[in-house]
Amino acid sequence: MPIDATLTFSLKLVKWLCKNDLVEEIQGNLEEYYLLLRTEKKSFFFVRYWYQVLHYMRPSFLQLFKLKNKGPMFNFNPKIAIRNLMNHRSTTIISLLGFVVGLTSVIFLYFYIENELNTDSFHIDKDQIYRVVRMASNNTGDVYPVSPTSGPYAGALANDFPETVQSTNRVLFERGLVTFEDKSFYEEDIVFADANFFTFFSYPLKKGNPATVLSGANDVVISQKIAEKYFGDEDPIGKILDIDAGDYKYTVSGVFDDFPTKSHLRFDMVFSIDLFDSFEWFGRWFNHGLCTYIKVNTPAEADYLESQFPDFMNKYMGEDFKRLGTQWGIKLESLGDLYFNEIRFEFPDIKHGSTVNVITLGSIALAILFIACFNYINLSIAQSYKRAKEVGVRKVLGVDQGRLIAQFLGESLVILLISVLASILLSELLKGSFNQFFDLNVIFNWQDPLVIVFFSSLFIVIVIASGLYPALLLSSFHPLKVLKTGKPALGKNIIVRKGLVILQFSMSIFLIIATSLIYMQLSFVQNRDLGFDKEAVLIIESNNAPIGENHETFKDLLKSSRFVKSVTSASGEPGGFHDNAPIEIDGIEEPVHLNTIFADTEYLKTFDISLVAGRAFDSNISSDNESVMMINESAVKSTGLSAEDIIGKKVRGSFWNLDHRIIGVFKDYHFKGLKTEIEPLVIISGDDDARIFAAKIDANNLSESVKEVEDIYKRISPNFPMSSRFLDDSIAQQYEEEAKQARIFTGFAILSIFLACMGIFGLASFSAQQRQKELSIRKVLGASVKQVIYLISNEFLVLVLISSLMAIPFSWYFVSGWLDGFAYRIELLNSWPIFLLGGAITAVVAFITIGAKTYKTAASNPSEIMRYE
Amino acid sequence: MGKNAIGEFEELLLLTVLILQEEAYILKIKEELVNQANRKSAMGAIHITLSRLESKDLLKSSLGGATAERGGRKKRIYELTAAGKTALTEVKETRNSMWNNVPEFALKVVYAN
Repeated sequence: MPIDATLTFSLKLVKWLCKNDLVEEIQGNLEEYYLLLRTEKKSFFFVRYWYQVLHYMRPSFLQLFKLKNKGPMFNFNPKIAIRNLMNHRSTTIISLLGFVVGLTSVIFLYFYIENELNTDSFHIDKDQIYRVVRMASNNTGDVYPVSPTSGPYAGALANDFPETVQSTNRVLFERGLVTFEDKSFYEEDIVFADANFFTFFSYPLKKGNPATVLSGANDVVISQKIAEKYFGDEDPIGKILDIDAGDYKYTVSGVFDDFPTKSHLRFDMVFSIDLFDSFEWFGRWFNHGLCTYIKVNTPAEADYLESQFPDFMNKYMGEDFKRLGTQWGIKLESLGDLYFNEIRFEFPDIKHGSTVNVITLGSIALAILFIACFNYINLSIAQSYKRAKEVGVRKVLGVDQGRLIAQFLGESLVILLISVLASILLSELLKGSFNQFFDLNVIFNWQDPLVIVFFSSLFIVIVIASGLYPALLLSSFHPLKVLKTGKPALGKNIIVRKGLVILQFSMSIFLIIATSLIYMQLSFVQNRDLGFDKEAVLIIESNNAPIGENHETFKDLLKSSRFVKSVTSASGEPGGFHDNAPIEIDGIEEPVHLNTIFADTEYLKTFDISLVAGRAFDSNISSDNESVMMINESAVKSTGLSAEDIIGKKVRGSFWNLDHRIIGVFKDYHFKGLKTEIEPLVIISGDDDARIFAAKIDANNLSESVKEVEDIYKRISPNFPMSSRFLDDSIAQQYEEEAKQARIFTGFAILSIFLACMGIFGLASFSAQQRQKELSIRKVLGASVKQVIYLISNEFLVLVLISSLMAIPFSWYFVSGWLDGFAYRIELLNSWPIFLLGGAITAVVAFITIGAKTYKTAASNPSEIMRYE
Repeated sequence: MGKNAIGEFEELLLLTVLILQEEAYILKIKEELVNQANRKSAMGAIHITLSRLESKDLLKSSLGGATAERGGRKKRIYELTAAGKTALTEVKETRNSMWNNVPEFALKVVYAN
């Protein structure tokens, strides 16, 4: 049925558009071709057929567009429209360029936003799936959600609420070495999940039965990409993968395909979680390291469930909470909200979107489209001058306003249609570079019915917004006046045009100011002294048994190398992972929440952190290997004691069985980046659970140094590739999101200035034309070319000034809101030159544009213009 | 040749019309072009070229032969005019005489090795 609708529609289209005497023949040809195609069952049926149909839509087959009262001269005539567009080539190109740029941006941004908003929308039970989050608190009393939960939650929830909780799933993020025969890769995106993973969520399986694919304890499901990487063209099912150099073996039981839309979970391989269930530690409530999902019958039941959580927590952890002097609750987070929710501590493997980004980009897209429409309106009005006589003659011959409107709207439609086709083409062409430049992964879903609705309504809005006003204006000219003077009386709408220009420039100035300030903040963040040395520090993961067991040997070998200046092992590096626990200090009543680092004696030296009071860990004092700790200035401040008083105090904490003594106070450094204030921190001696090694290497021989470190690593752990990164790189990555924003802003700021200048170009030509006679008289009376240009530019510089005045408060408001995300930020008042700069840049660019356009008029010979009087 | 010059595509179309005789209507012509010359072209493109040839008086056409596949619509059948036939012959003769003047060795493909 839908295919036959195609035929009917295309035949109607032919009847409507083509010349009457050709209709029968063309329709006949098309129908016959259609049936032929259908019997032959060719591929791309639809495309083939429409290719033929569209090829019939050429000028010599098309008929004149006739309104009801036929009259040969006064219909919308594509020929006249095209002639008009050809005659005013520069204006046409400006309008086309404006629309193409505007629409292309809208297409990109539309799909970007659509992709973002549709994240996870493919899960069939998306309204019933919730993630369990813990509500943690710090010592200032903030309560905030964190995502890690532990193994037993899922089972206990299913057990205690059998009527409400339909099913549960646990997802644990890992990375590890995966080997198949001679192929061996370190895989970053691995998850371990419960057996019902593929029925709980709706990730599409290419091979394997969703219900049973993970049922075996050694089953693994891999992505198509991974399958090709390890097995090439061979069938992956039944193949055995070695994990962590043969420690574990898993059998491939299924293959999944690309996700239909984005997902907050991204993984290449899904393993059965059974292995972890066999570990004793996995069953402990305190071992937070995975995400717990539950599926309820209806969303309303989730509320009921949440109300039961306080009792639930009390039942399982009440005793522990009392003993440790801390506590937390749990809440549910629906799958629909998850992607855009902000979570204080989140697994780095879980993807989140930013509402601010979506809103900003959406408004930028609209702004650019507005600018393009304004341009078109302005140019058409300027154009009207030239067409005034045409309108006058047509009116005298008896054309009513309706037909004129049809003709002018029709011309707008031609421009728009061309722009739409060109921008669809352009956006498809530029998709790759766009994604690369902005570091995005935007997929174009043209088939989505919403896309058609959105773009066709957008199209109608643009036609009405940018075509209707010029059409109404042009058709409203009084024929007598126009023919008598040769030009229309355009007095009143000058305000409209100037208003449009002011709006355009305000947007451009706003974007310039915002972009510059965002860049300033980013460079401020990158250049600020963080309180520790991040240059030439190599962070090496301690992620496998050989390295973990021989970490002393590894460090000794590194130290003996001439490329390595110092080495430390610790639970985390500055800017990296920091744990958090309540700790009791002697003489202070309330336990204090402190961030913790476990480190060996070289930590301060390697990161060049300075000491304020007391002493640092000393490798020559044997007790320094286990029972001492250092504390930062903020932590001292939070206890209310002085630095001298706190040294020597005993410290206890049941979390890690602490029984330690404070021996030193070190200077505050930004261990969590510049988005938050410096929090209290302790460095505890002991590196038994070291997660990383940090090596300060020779900055002058970076590549050789890294090579040397790798060689040493290989000696100790030959089967396991070293995973390392530079500290300054990983710190810069914290601001990746902001840098991305800055890039997007710059790109679109340049676009909008470009478009706005095209607009002012059009307006300046209009102004120069309208005042031709005045300018000529001025020249006759002795004015120079310079003075004449100055006269016209002046008018526009005033507009730029007004635009700046409008844009400054907006950009102030926006940027200060954006800066609120940083605890350490540039002072806006000190950046006042930037606010002026926005206006200045725009003024200069506008001046150049206007100058270029008016020079011709200003330099022309007055007699050429005056003699037609 | 002069004002009767015809383009390569036009020549192909004229020949196809000659080959097809009574069957010379657009769909058949399109099919025949693929079979004979391996040329894929849109019906619109063929149609417009045929019209052009008609206006040059090299072709004439008549409506007829409605069939069920066309929804009972008539098709336009093309036929060469005398001028069309002359033009085609002229083209062929020009080509032939030029071919005769091509020295034989000039066409030999010489391989480097």
